[in-house]
Amino acid sequence: MSLYLRQVRAIVWKDLLLELRTRERIAAMAAFAVLAGVLFNYALDTARVAPQDVAAGLVWMTIVFGGLLGVGRTFYLEAQDGAMQGVLMSPAPKDAVYLGKTLANFALLFPVALLVLLVFTLFFGLDLGSSPSILVLALALGALGFVALATLFAAVSTGTHMGETLLPILVFPLLVPMVIYGVGATGRILIGRPVSEVAGNVRMLGAFALVALAAGAIFFRFVVED
Amino acid sequence: MEISGMRKAGTALTVVGLAGLALVYWLSFFWVSTELSQGVAQRIFYVHVPAAWTAFLAFGISALCSAMYLWLRDERFDQAALSAAEGGMFFATIMLTTGPLWGRIAWGTYWTWEPRLTLTLLLWFIFLGYFMVRSSTENPEKGKRFAAVVAIVGALDIPFIHVSVLWFRSLHPQPVVIRPDSGPSLPGDMLTLLLTSLGVFTLLFAGLFVLRYALEGLRRELDVRARGAAA
Repeated sequence: MSLYLRQVRAIVWKDLLLELRTRERIAAMAAFAVLAGVLFNYALDTARVAPQDVAAGLVWMTIVFGGLLGVGRTFYLEAQDGAMQGVLMSPAPKDAVYLGKTLANFALLFPVALLVLLVFTLFFGLDLGSSPSILVLALALGALGFVALATLFAAVSTGTHMGETLLPILVFPLLVPMVIYGVGATGRILIGRPVSEVAGNVRMLGAFALVALAAGAIFFRFVVED
Repeated sequence: MEISGMRKAGTALTVVGLAGLALVYWLSFFWVSTELSQGVAQRIFYVHVPAAWTAFLAFGISALCSAMYLWLRDERFDQAALSAAEGGMFFATIMLTTGPLWGRIAWGTYWTWEPRLTLTLLLWFIFLGYFMVRSSTENPEKGKRFAAVVAIVGALDIPFIHVSVLWFRSLHPQPVVIRPDSGPSLPGDMLTLLLTSLGVFTLLFAGLFVLRYALEGLRRELDVRARGAAA
């Protein structure tokens, strides 16, 4: 394994180990997901609105809001005890740090995304539709694009005195394509449309994730230098 | 150019721009012919389209100067990026207010999720983030870097936003000047006024931009002097 990949892996491992020991962020995101499902149950009149028709939007919005909750705190611990300096002074290049942080966030958010899908399926009696595997793929690519942008801007918002309050303002306008393609793909699968209808959406989700990752890897160094 | 020279040039450009704006208003109320299907409401087009063009130009300049700032770390690029971003917000706000006013009459609704409308609204919010990031750091240099990253990543996201919102169906009038398959379809006097207005708005933006840039230069000079006096 090349040195670069080992550096990325070290960062991923460090973040996941921290999370394994505290379980703060994943617990918060998971609890948020379930509670959002409970609230949606009362916010919607399921006698008049078919859950199958609105579930896709609810699933994605829960992932976005819950994700911000966890990803917003990516740099919180390190900023608190000045440990970020240590990470940045390590021989790992800045983009490796960014990719490590992003992948660790993905490893936290993706299970939460699956949990959201599961919980909503249970709560609203949804049918997983025409292709559960494509559904999971769309969630994975969407979650990857989301953490790619949110990790970069979490570094920005942690450096301001507004902190996490700023994060949604910075990230929401940029997430519009992800929400449009994600909800489009998920909604069609859930109502049982053929997979061929959503292939374009899933490809766009992949392209969005790739561009977001590349942009984050390039611009992260300008955010954390000092 | 010296700052005083810039101020003079900026003032001159702005005055010419404002005079041009008065002319554009006069022409669009009293000179240009009334459009057949949309009636009088169509005249707002001579403000709306140039404001849109200027806003996109300004945001483009801001993203470009932000990239140059991150690359060369020359304060002047940051000054230019900030000045252009403010101009962009100004003209985007004009576009976002004139659009719905026209839409109420032509479409029967103030707001619709039409691709170009949505894109401008999102750009407006991306640059709102640009200003919020700038003003919420203790170290101004850090704020400039953060803001530059916001502007550049925002610009990189625009193709995605554009393609994705187009995916929703469009109500917006199609282009009438630059069209891929043929020449302008706009009648002569309307085209003349539109092009005049485009020129006037661009000039007005250039004037405001130069003035704002000179102001930022003065602020920086003041900062340097204050630090010199303290030391």
